[in-house]
Amino acid sequence: MRDRAQLGMAMLLISEAVFFFLLILACANFQALPRLYVFSGSILTALLLAGSVSMWRKWRWATVALGVVFLVGLVGTSFAMLTAVHGLFVLAGVIAIGVVPVSAIRTMALYWYFFTAVWVVIFVVARQL
Amino acid sequence: MTWLLALDHKRIGILYMLSALLFFLAGGMEAMVMRAQLAAPNLKLISPQIYNQMFTMHGTTMIFLVAMPVLTGFGVYLVPLMIGANQTALPRLGALSFWLQLLGGVLLYFSFATGSAPNAGWFSYAPLSEKPFSPGPGVDFWAFALLLIAAASIGAAINLIVTIATERAPGMTMRLVPLFVWMTFVASVMIVFALPALAAALVMLLSDRLLAAHFFDPAQGGAPLLWQHYFWIFGHPEVYIVVLPAFGMISEIIPVFSRKPIFGYPFVATSTVAIAFLSYGVWAHHMFAVALGRNFLAIFAAASMLIAVPTGMKIFSWIATMWGGSIRFTTAMLFAVAFLLEFTIGGLSGVAFATVPVDWQLTDTYFVVAHIHYVLFGGTVFALLAGVHYWFPKFSGRMLDEKLGHWSFWLVVLGFNTAVFVLHFLGLIGMPRRVYTYPDLPWYGALNLISTIGAAILVFGILLVCANVAMSLFFGAEAGDDPWNAWTLEWAAASPPLAQNFAEVPEVRSRRPLWDRKHPEAPDWMHV
Repeated sequence: MRDRAQLGMAMLLISEAVFFFLLILACANFQALPRLYVFSGSILTALLLAGSVSMWRKWRWATVALGVVFLVGLVGTSFAMLTAVHGLFVLAGVIAIGVVPVSAIRTMALYWYFFTAVWVVIFVVARQL
Repeated sequence: MTWLLALDHKRIGILYMLSALLFFLAGGMEAMVMRAQLAAPNLKLISPQIYNQMFTMHGTTMIFLVAMPVLTGFGVYLVPLMIGANQTALPRLGALSFWLQLLGGVLLYFSFATGSAPNAGWFSYAPLSEKPFSPGPGVDFWAFALLLIAAASIGAAINLIVTIATERAPGMTMRLVPLFVWMTFVASVMIVFALPALAAALVMLLSDRLLAAHFFDPAQGGAPLLWQHYFWIFGHPEVYIVVLPAFGMISEIIPVFSRKPIFGYPFVATSTVAIAFLSYGVWAHHMFAVALGRNFLAIFAAASMLIAVPTGMKIFSWIATMWGGSIRFTTAMLFAVAFLLEFTIGGLSGVAFATVPVDWQLTDTYFVVAHIHYVLFGGTVFALLAGVHYWFPKFSGRMLDEKLGHWSFWLVVLGFNTAVFVLHFLGLIGMPRRVYTYPDLPWYGALNLISTIGAAILVFGILLVCANVAMSLFFGAEAGDDPWNAWTLEWAAASPPLAQNFAEVPEVRSRRPLWDRKHPEAPDWMHV
């Protein structure tokens, strides 16, 4: 069963990778990237990375707490479509991690790692351009 | 209530098919309103605004609420049966996907109730779809509905991919799966890669409209062409997403009624993968009329011609399968043979469009309308009608009436070709598409009238199919488990299948497991 769920999650994340690649490409092209300052952006990145570590250790409630703090912090930054869309996926992840059975935690970890990676890409690209 | 909470793949499949049928009737009515308006020059049966809503809703409905869901419905119903499984791998995801799809359709049609249905065409080009040019909420309804449908389609595709990857019967390697399963698998993978491009474009469009962004606004540094690129990165693979499973149906039906195994199975399967790859490299042939640069045009023209090669391989494979076969012209087989002819006409006009000067001459004329209808109706719908007549006994346990079937076949063929073939000529003499009326120019009135009469005949043929289905559900002859003496595993299950498809998991050693079971003295696997 875990294999099925993990394969399904992998397919979903491939789909999301295409989606975010195209969004980031358009935002970079039109200079519509979020304004992320080094300090606040680094703290937000650290929160997601810490969430990834806690998912790896299967501490789901720690991940939920870190995710909530991340979302609160994100609201405090200036609004940008890209971070708002990413935030919606993080919110969905926080809810899902809170409600899925223990057997699905490993699968949800894939989701969390992926959206952490997407955030890192957004942060790096936004700082570079 | 049990249907509302259903997780069984057969029920979800039937729900997909029923919802697609309802939307098919709605989309058909929209088409008839347009054909009535165009029956004669200078008619004013409806307003230009209503006409714009009609062609927008017709295109959106037929692509997103009919073609995609009905093929998903066939896939969800048949794939587990064909691979010897009792359920899909992710049944909750399957159910969620159907209800999201239906919600998207309801949201789209709710726009009529607000008096502001979308009216910017099924591909809603920017900047027409931007707020200054489409100020009402119609485009917002359209974009939100399509976002829901995109999510639903991806969910359903994931369910099918995982099912095919993990639930196959013992011994059924990917070299042995039925071709319908192969093509459903490839189309599902294509959905995973293609629909996100549409979703990204929709998010940007909604940002422009609701959050004052400027992705597609040239006055603020945006680019309307970006919409076209993203839409067609989705849009051209989409054509194959709604054609490949139809190819799969034809690949099942023609061998059974020719009493021969499919000719060149490996070529049919691998050409499907080739089509999937190539379909991501041809999107800009929808954009030849914009300034793209000569090299760009040459590359996309060549790629668009190249994709005809694997498609042609399939056509030859089906013809070779029939060649020398003992053909039974059941209604299903008649629709399958007609599919070969109709789809080839659409395919050939598609190759013509790959030639840049031809495209420049004919773009946005009725020639395009003829082309897309020969591909999507002559291709997908004819294959679906073949599929309905072939698998209805499995779905219901009853046979469709063959006499009514033959009548409906000839009406559909006559009506469709009368309605659509003349549109080629209208395009060649320069009639633009998406005009709600036209002046009394030579041939315009006569050809449009012929098309409208053909459309009326087609409606009659489709209604006859519906009547046949409805009557056969109650009065049709008992089908038995395997009325066609077929070879794939769905025919080993009861008709209709029980809650648990197979009492024991079947073992598979060849591409025709049921043949092996019926002919233990000469099973296929002895020759492999």
